[in-house]
Amino acid sequence: MNDGANYQELSRRYGFAPKPESASRLTQLVARQDADVDEIAKVINKDPALRARLLRAANPEAENEAEYAVETVEDALMRNGVGCALVLAMGTPLALALTKTFQTMLSIKLESIDRFHAEPLDGEHMLGTIGFSGKVVGKVYLRMSRSSGQSIAAGVLGLAPEELNDINEIRDVVGELLNIMTGNFKSNLCDAGLDCRLTPPDVKLTSDFATPVERGSGLERMAFRAGKISLFVDVIANPWNDD
Amino acid sequence: MAVKILSVDDSRTIRMIVGKTFRPYDCQVCEAGNGEEGLAVAAREKPDLIILDVTMPVMDGVTMLTKLKEDPELKTIPVIMLTAESGRDNVLQIAKLGVRDYLVKPFKEDQLIEKAGRIVSLQKKPAAAV
Repeated sequence: MNDGANYQELSRRYGFAPKPESASRLTQLVARQDADVDEIAKVINKDPALRARLLRAANPEAENEAEYAVETVEDALMRNGVGCALVLAMGTPLALALTKTFQTMLSIKLESIDRFHAEPLDGEHMLGTIGFSGKVVGKVYLRMSRSSGQSIAAGVLGLAPEELNDINEIRDVVGELLNIMTGNFKSNLCDAGLDCRLTPPDVKLTSDFATPVERGSGLERMAFRAGKISLFVDVIANPWNDD
Repeated sequence: MAVKILSVDDSRTIRMIVGKTFRPYDCQVCEAGNGEEGLAVAAREKPDLIILDVTMPVMDGVTMLTKLKEDPELKTIPVIMLTAESGRDNVLQIAKLGVRDYLVKPFKEDQLIEKAGRIVSLQKKPAAAV
C-alpha cells in the first residue's frame, strides 16, 4: 500500500474529518510554482466561496459587488499575483478550523462577516500572533477585545467569565486556540509540499492595529462574530521562500 | 484502583481540559509540559495511558514517542496522540512508531473519553465525589 492509501486508511481508522477538497487542490497547484494563472483560475471559478473571497480581496475599497473594479478571477490573479491564491487556499482551512474550534470547544456558532461591515475594535485589545516558516513564510494575527478573550477563555475552561481575571490564563487559552487553528492549515500546506514550521503563539494586550505586509506577500482579512464576541483574523503569506 | 493517565502538552489550557475531562471518572491525571518531562513522569508513575501532543518545546511528541517505544519498561504503555497536526507525513510517521489512537484538536471531551475508554476501563465516580 502506498503512502496516500495508507494515510486514507489511517484517516478512516482515527476518524479524521475530511479536508476541504478545493482548498487542498488549490494549495497543491500553487505549490507547484509552474502552474499558470488559467489553471489556478479554473479551480477558483469552480468554488463560488473561493471566487467571492478572491474578488473581495481584489477590491478592497468597494462597499459592494456593484463597485468592483476587478470583476474576474483571472484579472484578480494577474493584478495581485498568484501568491494571493495561496493565501486564499490557506484562509479556507483556517476559517474552518476557527469555526470548528469554537463549535467544538465552546458550542459557539461563529458567523463569518464582511470585515468592512464589522464593528471595529477600539483601543487596547488582545492580539495573538503565530508565525510559520519554511517553503512558505507568513503570520496569522488574531484580534479580539479583552472581554471577548475573557469569555472565550472562561468557556474553554468551563468557568464563569467573572471567575477568570488572570490575564496570563486568558493569554494561554487564546494562544492555544491560535495553535489549533494554525496547526490545521499547516497540515494542509505540508500535504501540498509546502513544508513549514510554526512558531510558538505570542499573545499580548496592545493598542496597535497595524498588520505589516511585506512586498510580494498576500494578505487576507477575515472577521467573525457570535453574539458579543467579534474576532478579526489576518493571514499574510509569501510562498516559494528559498531561505 | 484508579486509572493513571499522563497528559503531555506544553499548553496549560489543554492539560486543564484533559484533567477536567477525566474528573468524573476514577482516574488520576498527571501532567508534563514537554517530551523530556513526559518521559521522566512516565518512568516514575508508570501510567496506564499517555495522551501526547506533537509540537512542544525541549522535546517534541514524536521524539518522546520514539524514546518511549525504545524503553523496555515503558514501550507497552498505550498512547493517544492529541494534536492539531494531521498532515500526512506526521500521521504516517507516528502510526509507524505505534500509537493506539489519534485525536485531532479541536476535540470534544466526549471524543477523548470514547477513545480512552477503548483502551482503559473508565469507571464513573459516585456523583458526590466529582
